[in-house]
Amino acid sequence: MRLIVEKLKEVFLAVLPIAAIVLLLNFTFVSLSWFLIVRFVIGALLIVAGLSIFLFGVNIGISPIGNFMGTFIVKTNKIWFLIAAGLVLGFFISIAEPALHILGSQVELVSSARVSSGSIVVAASVGIAAFLALGLLRIVYDVSLPKILTVFYGIVLVFSLFSSNEFLAVSFDASGATTGAMTVPFILALSTGISALKKNGKSSENDSFGLIGVASVGAIIGVLLIGLTSTGSALGAAPDYHTSGATSILGHFLDLVPSTVEEVLVSLLPILLCFLLLQLAPFRLSRRLVKQIVFGLLFTFLGMVILLVGVNAGFMDIGREIGYGIASRDSKALLVIVGFVLGLVTILAEPSVYVLTHQIEDVTSGAVKRRIVLFTLAAGVSLAVAFSMLRIAVAGIQLWHFLLPGYIISIVLSFISPRLFVGIAFDAGGVASGPMTGTFVLAFAQGAAQAVDGANVLLDAFGLIALVAMTPIIALQILGVMYKIKTRKRGV
Amino acid sequence: MTTFENQSAYRLIYVIVNFGRGSEVLRVTRESRISGGTILLGRGTVRSGFLNFFALYELRKEIVLIVADSVTAEKALEALNKEMQFEKPNHGIAFATAIETVDGSSELEDSVLAEERGDEKKMYNLITVIVDKGRAEKVIDAATEEGSKGGTIVNARGSGIHERSKLFAMEIEPEKEIVLIVAKRDKTQKIIAKIREDLQIDDPGKGIVFTQTVNDAYGLLD
Repeated sequence: MRLIVEKLKEVFLAVLPIAAIVLLLNFTFVSLSWFLIVRFVIGALLIVAGLSIFLFGVNIGISPIGNFMGTFIVKTNKIWFLIAAGLVLGFFISIAEPALHILGSQVELVSSARVSSGSIVVAASVGIAAFLALGLLRIVYDVSLPKILTVFYGIVLVFSLFSSNEFLAVSFDASGATTGAMTVPFILALSTGISALKKNGKSSENDSFGLIGVASVGAIIGVLLIGLTSTGSALGAAPDYHTSGATSILGHFLDLVPSTVEEVLVSLLPILLCFLLLQLAPFRLSRRLVKQIVFGLLFTFLGMVILLVGVNAGFMDIGREIGYGIASRDSKALLVIVGFVLGLVTILAEPSVYVLTHQIEDVTSGAVKRRIVLFTLAAGVSLAVAFSMLRIAVAGIQLWHFLLPGYIISIVLSFISPRLFVGIAFDAGGVASGPMTGTFVLAFAQGAAQAVDGANVLLDAFGLIALVAMTPIIALQILGVMYKIKTRKRGV
Repeated sequence: MTTFENQSAYRLIYVIVNFGRGSEVLRVTRESRISGGTILLGRGTVRSGFLNFFALYELRKEIVLIVADSVTAEKALEALNKEMQFEKPNHGIAFATAIETVDGSSELEDSVLAEERGDEKKMYNLITVIVDKGRAEKVIDAATEEGSKGGTIVNARGSGIHERSKLFAMEIEPEKEIVLIVAKRDKTQKIIAKIREDLQIDDPGKGIVFTQTVNDAYGLLD
């Protein structure tokens, strides 16, 4: 019993800040209708329940599958199998990700169907597939992470020189979108499953992280290539919101259930197939373990559905209203500050962040504390949201004004910061942009853009995820440098 | 190096608590003149029909290892027991085993050692089992059948002479699990026999089992 109570308490404390801030905003700067507030509170409660169930599910279901899969792939000791597994897993995990499809259809919309949704989705998935395979090869052939990242981001830089501003934003967003709440724990477990076998304890710890970071570069490159081939595709049509027609509070939530169930099922499918494949493998999982994993998958499914329904029905509209309300007050500073605070509290409730920080504690035997990583991550994300608000409020600031120096700093830091933190940092980039940021903060940005003259709702909102994926990389690597200095033995 | 041939004057204290409380243990023991300790992550068994039905079997634990001379160890354990309230269910356990030699801790070598006390109630044994990853649950099941109240699992790596050592370019050490079980003296032999039987420990490459005598124990509720 205590097990459940403690998890609920932990999650409740994670969701509390965002609820408190939103209610505070309601009484100070924007007054919201009670209808929205009631929905928001119900949404928050659903998130607490959903996130708790989801985390149990990941722990006993998704992570074990990932771990076994990683060990299984390496133990075959066949290079073609490793590459094939990376390609197949990468492609299907990514193509099953709902967030990527949403991004694709938004791009199709603003490009007046010159760039089809399908081409974005496929390009990102192929990219992820190729780079997941490369990432796996990196682990088993002991190539250093900073070197490989330098090469990959070098390629990104070259391509982006020829790319339009809009496509740059879309491609960085795609990398955040492909690593959703379901795939992050799986890929993390996959890499720990492999690196746990390593003889050198230090490199085993280091290589547990970084795979998500490497794989996300694939999505960037994939989408950039699409942008280069479809010439003259100026993006910029009026956006169109689809709002639920339901008028009752309950209706808002119930309306979303069928589509959410479908989304979650599809994104769980690749992992489920892995599990079935493992059952065919030469080593059998014990019956108890099979039962445990089946329950884990059920929990993951149930938790994710509850969570997503809560976020989409409870948080989306209120986020947009707040964004619109704050931006209408004609104070650029206020918009930036509120963005900063919302970024700070939203990330605390992000599911993948939980999984990553727990994984860090497990791998380092608790030496790197969860809370420290969490706050560093939150600080990074809040800066990203603040930058995005600045971009909306002040015309003329381009996305690459942030991205170029940001990634240069990231790469330089990767040679200074301890390896473990480099891996964690680049993984965190993909982790930070999950369902909470992708809905609530994005809706907030869109609302704000709507209220500001000369800001394009969709175009300015593109690129938010890109920034959210970038700042944690810098923040966590700086934390790494600080750790390095602090843990030097004193008085010896 | 400080060595004691017959009477071991040093203790290795094990404190097993819920995740996150390991640092608290170190803080408390520091007040009892103990200079440091090492924290490992482990998994403990959950005994609840309700939770087990939902396939929730494990809880994250921290294991704190502390080396001290026997007098200090005893004081530290008492202080810990007072602070952490081991007598209550789910508050963790603490026990000490005798060790032979200590190196590397200047404080320990300098400290004045007291004589071994005559009558210590040595009621418990610590059974340590090292098996391949994934088999720890089986060890605990076997031990529970013979009357053990649970156990703690620690992830580990290691390799015997029976295992392959290289995959691709990486040298590997296969994953292992260490199971720590504290058992009453009269049950120890039965538990070990059952583990040896269920896990075929006596076959090559199947793992090892050893026992140590526990000097002081707190929090064991039987």
